[in-house]
Amino acid sequence: MPQFFLNKRLIILLVSIIVLVALIGFSLRERSKLTWPEQFVKDTTGWVQSLVSRPAQYVAGFFENLQDLQDTYDENKGLKSRVEKIASLEAEVQELKKDNKELRDVLDEKKTLRDLEPMPATVIGRNPDRWHEMIIINKGKLDGIKKNMAVVTATGLIGKVKNVTQFSSTVQLLSAMDPKNRISAVIQGETEVYGFVQGFDDKQKMLLVKAIPSGAKVEKGQTVITSGMGGVFPKGLMIGKVEEVKPDQYGLNQTALVKPGADFYDIENVMVIKRLMTSPEESVMKSGKEEDL
Amino acid sequence: MRKFFLPLLFLLLFIFESLFVQFLPAESFGNRILVPRFLFATLLFLTIYVGKNQGIIYAAIFGLLFDIVYVEIIGIYFFLFPFICYLAAKVMQVIQSNIVVAFFVSLLGVALLEAGVYEINYLIHVTNLDFMSFVNLRFYPTLILNGTFLLIAAYPLKRGFEKHAEALREDL
Repeated sequence: MPQFFLNKRLIILLVSIIVLVALIGFSLRERSKLTWPEQFVKDTTGWVQSLVSRPAQYVAGFFENLQDLQDTYDENKGLKSRVEKIASLEAEVQELKKDNKELRDVLDEKKTLRDLEPMPATVIGRNPDRWHEMIIINKGKLDGIKKNMAVVTATGLIGKVKNVTQFSSTVQLLSAMDPKNRISAVIQGETEVYGFVQGFDDKQKMLLVKAIPSGAKVEKGQTVITSGMGGVFPKGLMIGKVEEVKPDQYGLNQTALVKPGADFYDIENVMVIKRLMTSPEESVMKSGKEEDL
Repeated sequence: MRKFFLPLLFLLLFIFESLFVQFLPAESFGNRILVPRFLFATLLFLTIYVGKNQGIIYAAIFGLLFDIVYVEIIGIYFFLFPFICYLAAKVMQVIQSNIVVAFFVSLLGVALLEAGVYEINYLIHVTNLDFMSFVNLRFYPTLILNGTFLLIAAYPLKRGFEKHAEALREDL
């Protein structure tokens, strides 16, 4: 008799392992959207989470304010020196913007890769196990959020929208390791160098920008922004600053270690970025100058 | 009231874990990663003090919820939560149950869960962290964090669950 029970348990274990593999396989494949039970569960918990997270943010905000008060004096000194610079910068920006607009009018090019429409959202949850770096925000399909939109904070790009449900969506952070996650980036310098943000170094907390041509000169301190060439993100979202450059595995390309501009941990409010220019229009492609030449 | 005690407690812990990670000042621990497993530690206590069946059922429900809401890969916690609860129940059948033993069994369960999740994630290429870095960056910090939580919560949890089990017996 005990033999029989042992077998039954073994069978249950085997069956559950098979179910486990099937479920993981099902959820790992490229899905355009979640199944409706998943969406229902996520929306329900999202509602509860947004109820709880608001007061929690007030409490956390209070303690943060206390901490801020301690180093107000030093901060104030530093900021004052920067304010003076900002005034002159602002004038310059105004001038450049006007120039840019006039030149664009001359060229008759109204849309650029830079055009974007920000949408504010609040973080209501975060994955506790931190293998799959994800946050949950309180805006969903009904607010016009779509899969793959860029998500930024005030200091830089943090990730992209992974899945959307009716009232909430999940954002996959750049620090998550996902081979499917490739973001076309530009390293700004005298000549612009293109590469892909692909992967994250867990030990050094740096982003990896791969596929930089081996001849290209990249130096420490250069700024990395999105290029807009991927067709999903707009151009000009801040990613970070180059810390180190090294040749890749086979010596054909270079890999840059980039210190992310945004803090991936202390995230409260984010902006979901909608790119206004989605894809090149057909008429533009056809009436291109190259065709005539 | 008795009916809602357990689901409410676990739902609260479920949300608290996410809030904990969200508001924990990450810089103060260097690049170490502390993973709160308060929900699972409490589930283990439920298994030990109330009953195997109830523990495993709650573990399966909240494992599935965890997978859907936080991980978006169904199966990892849905399988590991009940499985480790079952193992804990087996262990508690053999050794005598007191609060110190329960504490260590829970901590061992959390350790098993961490290692199991790492292995699965390594298998499906969610991470490429090697085992030694995993142990140093995640495993020890996580055990210390959850050990602290258990030290604080073990006695109230034991009292609460024993009362609950008693009430269940009276109902029958």
